[in-house]
Amino acid sequence: MSTLVEEINAQIKGLQSSAAHTNTGTVREVGDGIARVEGLSNVMLNEMVEFPGGVFGLALNLEENEVGVVLLGAYGDIKEGDEAKTTGKLLSLPVGKALLGRVVNTLGHPIDGKGPIDSSTYYPLEKIAPGIIKRRPVTQPVQTGIMAIDAMIPIGRGQRELIIGDRATGKTTVAIDSIISQAKLNRQGEASGDSDFRPLYSIYVAIGQKNANVARVISTLEKEGAMPYTIVVSASASDDAASQYLAPFAGAAIGEWFMDNGMDALIVFDDLSKQAVAYRQISLLLKRPSGREAYPGDVFYLHSRLLERSARLSEEAGGGSLTALPIIETQSGDVSAYIPTNVISITDGQIYLEGDLFYQGIRPAINVGLSVSRVGSAAQVKAMKQVAGKIKGELAQFREMAAFAQFGSDLDDKTKGLLERGQRIVELFKQQQYQPYSVDMMVVMLYAMQQGYMDKIKVEKIKDFQSKMQEFFETRKAELLDKVRIKKAVKEELGIELKTALDEFTQFYK
Amino acid sequence: MNSNREAKKSARSLFRACFTDGVLDPGRVRAVIGALAERRPRGCLAIFQQLSRLVRLELARRHVVIESATSLGESDLGDLRADIIRAHGNDLTFDVVIQPDLIGGLRVRVGSDVWDGSVRARIEKLPV
Repeated sequence: MSTLVEEINAQIKGLQSSAAHTNTGTVREVGDGIARVEGLSNVMLNEMVEFPGGVFGLALNLEENEVGVVLLGAYGDIKEGDEAKTTGKLLSLPVGKALLGRVVNTLGHPIDGKGPIDSSTYYPLEKIAPGIIKRRPVTQPVQTGIMAIDAMIPIGRGQRELIIGDRATGKTTVAIDSIISQAKLNRQGEASGDSDFRPLYSIYVAIGQKNANVARVISTLEKEGAMPYTIVVSASASDDAASQYLAPFAGAAIGEWFMDNGMDALIVFDDLSKQAVAYRQISLLLKRPSGREAYPGDVFYLHSRLLERSARLSEEAGGGSLTALPIIETQSGDVSAYIPTNVISITDGQIYLEGDLFYQGIRPAINVGLSVSRVGSAAQVKAMKQVAGKIKGELAQFREMAAFAQFGSDLDDKTKGLLERGQRIVELFKQQQYQPYSVDMMVVMLYAMQQGYMDKIKVEKIKDFQSKMQEFFETRKAELLDKVRIKKAVKEELGIELKTALDEFTQFYK
Repeated sequence: MNSNREAKKSARSLFRACFTDGVLDPGRVRAVIGALAERRPRGCLAIFQQLSRLVRLELARRHVVIESATSLGESDLGDLRADIIRAHGNDLTFDVVIQPDLIGGLRVRVGSDVWDGSVRARIEKLPV
């Protein structure tokens, strides 16, 4: 027995005397958020490197005699000659439901003053996207609550839909509206007790934005009750370039946790143009060769590997999904610039917002001709497909005819009818911000338009007609709205009921 | 910029010529330095600086620093040296430093690899 104790003691002694092995290097140069470190012979690409004072960096350039490390956080105290050591870890951050309702930075540290985040699960920021076998086609819709999008440019769970447009054209608003809509649907779903209901959690990644703008977005989400279902990742304009470059990857890692655990998540990258600019800054400081518009050669891969992480997984892989809404800001409507064309080619469609439409008062200022959803129609609710099928075509014809009609007043009846209908559709699609519609309400509104109930209403009265119709249905025909939502298709019987209700409403409408 | 790049390139090729059987040969290094000083090619200073850096890094790669909280006995030091040579080859240079900051134990650095068995390192590892 005593020999056994001796053996254990020998083991303990061995453990106590073991020396920790680390791979170290010496800082040769530090500045502009980049440290050049000599040594670090065993460092891995993208490995976290620790500096004195608990500052971490990311090894991005492995050269023959030195390593280029991008510093994260406050690096003011690092000086030449300091020792840096490898950690053997890739950059990772806490993930899970504990983050819901919280505002975090790129490293997952809370910045909302609500105390520490209770999460023991960590995900690496950089992860290989799910492969072909694990994926399945997009078939479930994401209800943005924006009628123009849900009717004409439908988005499915697992899709990547780009929101593109000039500054101040309502890109962020479209994204925030979608988040608010998800929160409303989540609350309804939870209240209904439907076991098949799949909530859609939202992640909003703010990159290179003014702190005031981020604060405004957070207060809007709080005011609309969307924060309990939302996580905000913020790397504002005052944060270092490395944080801005990594923030979308941090958001994607948080979203992947939901996807891997069989849940659905929606992620908004606001915006990837600023991320590309931050990455360009880092690349130029690391003395990587520059290409078009001084962006490094791998800027396409930067965005493609990020957006590839959005997917809809097969049942065997858990059935979760991650939907991405990347935002790109164009300069003077130039969609043919380097970054916009890159991201357009990566995504499954784009929502193009136009400054001219915005200033004409058409909000959301969606240019229907240039906007497209490549996979979303497969996910569209059947009822919506039935009522909105022709609308995109009619609207496109209207835009063409409207330009043509400016040259003369003698128009045939068919063209006049097309113009009248087009004007009413444009009015119908105008929507106040932060007021998403439910899918059943949208179906009723579009059905009314399709069946010609709005043809006799003056164009300027369309919004009034619409809001009163909404009130009428919500207060007096709630069971019919429920029927539309449950049946998800407008069949003969439901069509008759809708017509009866609409006839009743038009009789009273003044 | 270009001249700097060329100096780096030249220094690297000269540095490669300084090895015999994969080991930096001091004789060859001296010969290269002598030839450079004599011929003084274009960008000579930059080449010298680059070459000096490469030699310094190579020497650091094969240099061992043994840090100890208290002075080590000759026999302990001999055993330690023998162990290190057995693991890393016999072309190493050694430095022994007394470092009271370590509180106790040893810290051995071979190139960029560090084995830290000091009391200070263990204290630093304790959860806060």
